[in-house]
Amino acid sequence: MLPKHLIKYFLFRILILLATIFTAFTITFVILKIMPIDIVNNIIARSMAVTGAALGDPEAVRRMYEIYYEIFGLKGTFIEQYVSFLNRFLTMDFGISILARPATVQEVISYRLPWTVALLVFSTILSWVIGNIIGAVVSLFEGSKLSNILQSLAIILYPIPYYVFALVLIYIFGYIIPLFSLTPIRLPSNIFSLEFIITVFRAMTLPALSIIVIGALGWWFLSSRAMALNIISEDFYLYGEIRGLPKLHLLKKYLLKNILLPQITALSINLGTIFGGALLTEILFNYPGLGTLLYQAVNAGDYPLVLGIVSMSIIGVAVATCIMDLLYPLIDPRIRYR
Amino acid sequence: MGVRLVVQGLFKNIIKTRKMGLKFKAGATIFFVIMIFGLLSFLTPHYHSYWYHFPQAHPPSLQSVDFIFGTTSNGRSVFWSLTNAIVNSLIIAVVTSMLACHIGLIIGILSGIKGGVIDKIMMFLTDSFIAIPGLPLTIMLAMILKPIINLFLLGVIISIISWPWSARMIRAITLSLREKDFVIFAKFSGMSTWKIIFSEIFPHILGFHATNIINTMLGAIGAEVGLAFLGLSIIEMDTLGTMIYWIQRYGAILQNMWWWVVPPIATLILLFLSLYLVSTGIQEFLNPRLRRVK
Repeated sequence: MLPKHLIKYFLFRILILLATIFTAFTITFVILKIMPIDIVNNIIARSMAVTGAALGDPEAVRRMYEIYYEIFGLKGTFIEQYVSFLNRFLTMDFGISILARPATVQEVISYRLPWTVALLVFSTILSWVIGNIIGAVVSLFEGSKLSNILQSLAIILYPIPYYVFALVLIYIFGYIIPLFSLTPIRLPSNIFSLEFIITVFRAMTLPALSIIVIGALGWWFLSSRAMALNIISEDFYLYGEIRGLPKLHLLKKYLLKNILLPQITALSINLGTIFGGALLTEILFNYPGLGTLLYQAVNAGDYPLVLGIVSMSIIGVAVATCIMDLLYPLIDPRIRYR
Repeated sequence: MGVRLVVQGLFKNIIKTRKMGLKFKAGATIFFVIMIFGLLSFLTPHYHSYWYHFPQAHPPSLQSVDFIFGTTSNGRSVFWSLTNAIVNSLIIAVVTSMLACHIGLIIGILSGIKGGVIDKIMMFLTDSFIAIPGLPLTIMLAMILKPIINLFLLGVIISIISWPWSARMIRAITLSLREKDFVIFAKFSGMSTWKIIFSEIFPHILGFHATNIINTMLGAIGAEVGLAFLGLSIIEMDTLGTMIYWIQRYGAILQNMWWWVVPPIATLILLFLSLYLVSTGIQEFLNPRLRRVK
């Protein structure tokens, strides 16, 4: 059985999660409200131009207006508008996607979501682990040539956004060394076949690589190295060193353990940025995730789908951050025993 | 009087640039070179805005300035596009940093000084903005505002997601300053809150504010490129983002049109690098503990 204060902590964290999602949607609502242009008229004019829909059926046009008015929270009294807007965003019920008629927005998103989640989880965890370990190890050999080279590399890599580096990778691997195909992938129908795994692997390697290199050798390396250097200058570390503890022990018990906690916090704060970067990376590599879907939706003027992805990402990032915070007690004994 | 102090502080800092470290100098030099390149855009010939004015996909040659970097698939000079792109991207960056950083500054100082309910409300708002993943929100806004988009508006859109970070940091600094003896002394000697903010607190925040402005510029340039990937930047204008948008649109990478691909991407990377170096340079200057002793 969990101790009482832990249950309290969990409940409080989940309460914060709900409050965050609620406030985020409220902010979105307010921002949409103060837009200086007539959103619905613009959308319908554009989607008619794109799809070439006939103006013949006034009933259909009227229904379209109604749906959009409701989606953007422009129908009824202010309270009604707000409630229906929140309702649509929380349930992601944005009706039928223009791009993938007759599928609903929910169906389209849920089909693409696993791809994005797989890429994100895989590349984020890997870059976080690699970056932190390299940073800590290198700090043990401070002043050596390797550490200087890595640090200069990190300073160059860190400010570059994921997608700019992705372009460089595409140029290298798509043109100079054509190892990976950049054509849109077609999945074999049998999920449990070897072919399926190979296809997924081929699709995922390059986008993941572009995120991992920038993430691991950029920010995670720089921050973990800075923290490790701080710890090395502390007395307890010096004492450990004088006692003649092996380097591996110092690394595991003294450095990594102390770096871990602030880095987890940093990870959960940066999740939104990483998520956005991954979306753009997907577009460049034709990866069949949410990012590519977003790109197609924007180009087709598919507002329901775009709003669906926006609400999906707000909920997704908030939940992921919450899960990370819930895992905190596993790592930090100060929260576990109190 | 407070304003005079601030101006004095600024001048003192500018004079001190001679003592700045290597990072700052390297960054400032790269940035300066890019700026000079951007300033060439004022010489842009009038025919630059037309498509297919030049032969399509012409590799670089030295026959005239227009062909120095070759031409694009839609028959435009890469050289003039690049110079214009630098200026336009920097305009977006400056608009964003001026808006976002100053909103952050005001909210941060106010909630740090006032405390209590105002602080709680403002910080709750800030935290909620931080919790919203920035890119999807900007994409939604850019898509809706597409019919009336311009450089300034694009800056405003990007500001919406950039200000909370500065507000949080400024508040943290203000909170630590509020407990310092000289602020308490000023308060007891009957100084008004505004005067305390301007003459006692603001000068100490100035350094952070400067690095913050540069970092926000960095973020804004990146965000514009991100939006442009989706075709949501100002497509009819040259920015670093839209240049990459057209590169992608025409598959220039796969056709190996390196003269079109390399300039914007290299400029982008150099710009990021130089701004980052300048901001770390300022940070090291302000906080000598960050300087590594050789």
